[in-house]
Amino acid sequence: MKAFNMVLAGVGGQGILLAAEILGTAAIKERLDVRVSEVHGMAQRGGAVVSMVRIGENVLSPLVLDGNADVILGFEPMETLRNAKYASEKTLIIMGDERISPPALTLRGESYPRIDEILEKLKRFSKNVIMVEALRLAKEAGSSLVQNVVLLGALIATGKTPIKKESLVEALKELVPAKYLDINMKAFELGYQYVKNLGS
Amino acid sequence: MPDPKTLLENKPGKRALLLGNEAIARGILEAGIGVVTTYPGTPASEIGDAVSAIAREAGVYMEYSVNEIVAVEVAGGAANCGVRALSAMKHVGLNVAADALTTLAYVGVRGGMVVVAADDPECYSSQNEQDSRFYAWFSNIPCLEPSNPQEAKDMVAYAVEISEKLELPVILRTTTRVSHTRAPVVFGKLVKPNLKGEFVRDAKRLVMVPANSRPRHDVLLQKMEKAREMAEASPYNLIARRGKNREYGVISSSSAYNYTMEAIELLGLDADILKLGMTHPLPERMIGQFLREHDKVIVVEELEPYLELHVKAIAKDQAPETEVYGKIGRQYFPRSGELSPRRVLEGLSAITGRKAPVNFENLDKRYAEVVRELPPRPPVLCPGCPHRASFYVIRKVAGEKAVYPTDIGCYALGYAPPLNVGDILICMGSGVGTAQGISKATEAPTIAIIGDSTFFHAGVPRLLNAIYNKHRIVVAVLDNMTTAMTGHQPHPGTGLTGMQTATEPIAIEKVAEGCGVKLVKVVNPFNFKEAENTLKEALDFPETSLIVFRAPCALLLLREKRRKGLEIVPLKVSGKCTNCLACIKLLGCPAITLTENKTVAINENLCLGCGLCAYICPYKAIEPAKQCRGGNA
Repeated sequence: MKAFNMVLAGVGGQGILLAAEILGTAAIKERLDVRVSEVHGMAQRGGAVVSMVRIGENVLSPLVLDGNADVILGFEPMETLRNAKYASEKTLIIMGDERISPPALTLRGESYPRIDEILEKLKRFSKNVIMVEALRLAKEAGSSLVQNVVLLGALIATGKTPIKKESLVEALKELVPAKYLDINMKAFELGYQYVKNLGS
Repeated sequence: MPDPKTLLENKPGKRALLLGNEAIARGILEAGIGVVTTYPGTPASEIGDAVSAIAREAGVYMEYSVNEIVAVEVAGGAANCGVRALSAMKHVGLNVAADALTTLAYVGVRGGMVVVAADDPECYSSQNEQDSRFYAWFSNIPCLEPSNPQEAKDMVAYAVEISEKLELPVILRTTTRVSHTRAPVVFGKLVKPNLKGEFVRDAKRLVMVPANSRPRHDVLLQKMEKAREMAEASPYNLIARRGKNREYGVISSSSAYNYTMEAIELLGLDADILKLGMTHPLPERMIGQFLREHDKVIVVEELEPYLELHVKAIAKDQAPETEVYGKIGRQYFPRSGELSPRRVLEGLSAITGRKAPVNFENLDKRYAEVVRELPPRPPVLCPGCPHRASFYVIRKVAGEKAVYPTDIGCYALGYAPPLNVGDILICMGSGVGTAQGISKATEAPTIAIIGDSTFFHAGVPRLLNAIYNKHRIVVAVLDNMTTAMTGHQPHPGTGLTGMQTATEPIAIEKVAEGCGVKLVKVVNPFNFKEAENTLKEALDFPETSLIVFRAPCALLLLREKRRKGLEIVPLKVSGKCTNCLACIKLLGCPAITLTENKTVAINENLCLGCGLCAYICPYKAIEPAKQCRGGNA
């Protein structure tokens, strides 16, 4: 099996590392080999965060080659665009809609760019873009903090990854604190249904 | 992170998804190591954290030492009593530990001792990029380089084995992409740690006065000859890939090896790969043989051309006809920054003339067009961070003419606009040190910024120097009651040990008083007026003064509130706002943003309601988003 490459991008604090670990755990439940790259320390403090997940038989590198992502899972629009260099015209881009202004932008007296501008730029790399109302769905599930799991639901619903829904749910149960499992399960289903409903 | 208890399972053959650092923690349990010491630092921190979480059940002694040299000394002491020990640190921590480590090589060890040094190419969370392999070289200490979490785990026991055979500490050198890569790791058997050692008096070996050191240096060099034979036979030095016609030979190690293997497949190169896992001392015969087998040998490694230097020296003696490509002379691979699949692919492509499978030029052009206007997003102080309040107070009172040497920790981020507190930063503790020279040379008001954990790590000797030599500086200890940047590890001020037991906390103010500081104050930076007045007093004081700005880390506070189910009440902007933008221009809080209509808004998902912006707002236009419980009206 050729390596399946995913790039997860967003802002420190959005639960990107947990989402990546859930994907990695689901992959080994299916006896697949996997590499997950993480960013810790200073880089996490509200800064841009990228984590990569590579699944396949002969994966060695935890990093994805430019232009070689099968999926870009964006947790924040600007950060999704920042990682467009990993996309090719075949890349599936799934993007959450929570906009977090970089303080550098606010300091310049500027507001966040319009979302359609970002979408237009993303589509120069791949037409295959799905916007997910992650913030609304996460709040519906019970907390703005579970946007990461909404996005995982959306990703799995596309059926494009080598990960089955059951494996992902199992990984979720393992890694999410028991106290918050209900909210997370709900978030996953909402994200999943959101994408399923787009198709119909 | 998976349940740390996973690491305790005695199930050989079990496959678990572990971070490289967690794999090293498992390796510690499989190597029978009894004493683990560390000072947290990215990318090494999770080794200590994982061990701390399970130490009591595993029967291992674990401590967060006050700094890296103490960590190495504690481990070295135990190892000299026959107890296996490991000490983990980031690359720059190895600088701190170097004084102990280089001479510990003379003394040697009796129980196996491993020093994990985690390098940070690209400076994701560090003040420099340095290649720790050179420490192994000039200290005459064997060096192992894993390329993935599985090897990282396995090499702990291997390092212990080498260490005990040679009676020498061994460096296990990782990089960010080994320590912070998650991958499946297959467990081996657990080995019960032995914590009972015996100290055997042997001054000629243990007391490094000149008369004893001289012969020990020779003993060390003899040990390295023995080590070189081990490198020749090491299962970690191997031909990892054979091509058909041996057109190229490639030598690689660590994370660079992963990119190299994949790039060779992508380029369709006919190449053999020599993978080196034991990189000091190097297997000179094996490398000589590999050089003779190929006309062209490419060395792919991250950071400094450590392997290349040695390969070229070996080539001169053993294979002078072979051409060696790397980063000395014509630079095919970068010497600074992190390697990546692309950088390796491009380097190999340039050497071999094979075309890369991606049109990078076209991709770069399109990418440059879309990111041109994309603002950068460097790390920032969190919303509600007490350091922001401290910096606001410091800047307001001391202003532009004061100089602000700063230090290693989250608060280093205060250098950035709009807070602008942080003028020089070198290493742990350097803020208090450089402040003294700056104050002497300029007579400008000088405020040295230092964190709580850093104060214990490196601040105290610098403080003593200031007091004794009567340097007129203000030491501002930004005490958020934890080692925040690296993941909230305990330090001597917290009252918690690595064994997760309670101990007597050491108060920074008492240390300062004990050292002889005559003006010592403790303030809460969110008590803005009091904090301002205290700083004014300190600036007027003619000798060294010290203020502890104490308030808990916002992330810890947030976690505690969530755990207890307490409500977080964000702030909101009221109709009184005139859009003067003072809150944005003075504070740079990530929770304060501009709407599409360029009016100020507070992101309720980010704001913790710390109240700093409400305090500084000239129009009192920022208030709690809803009535606080117990509030009036």
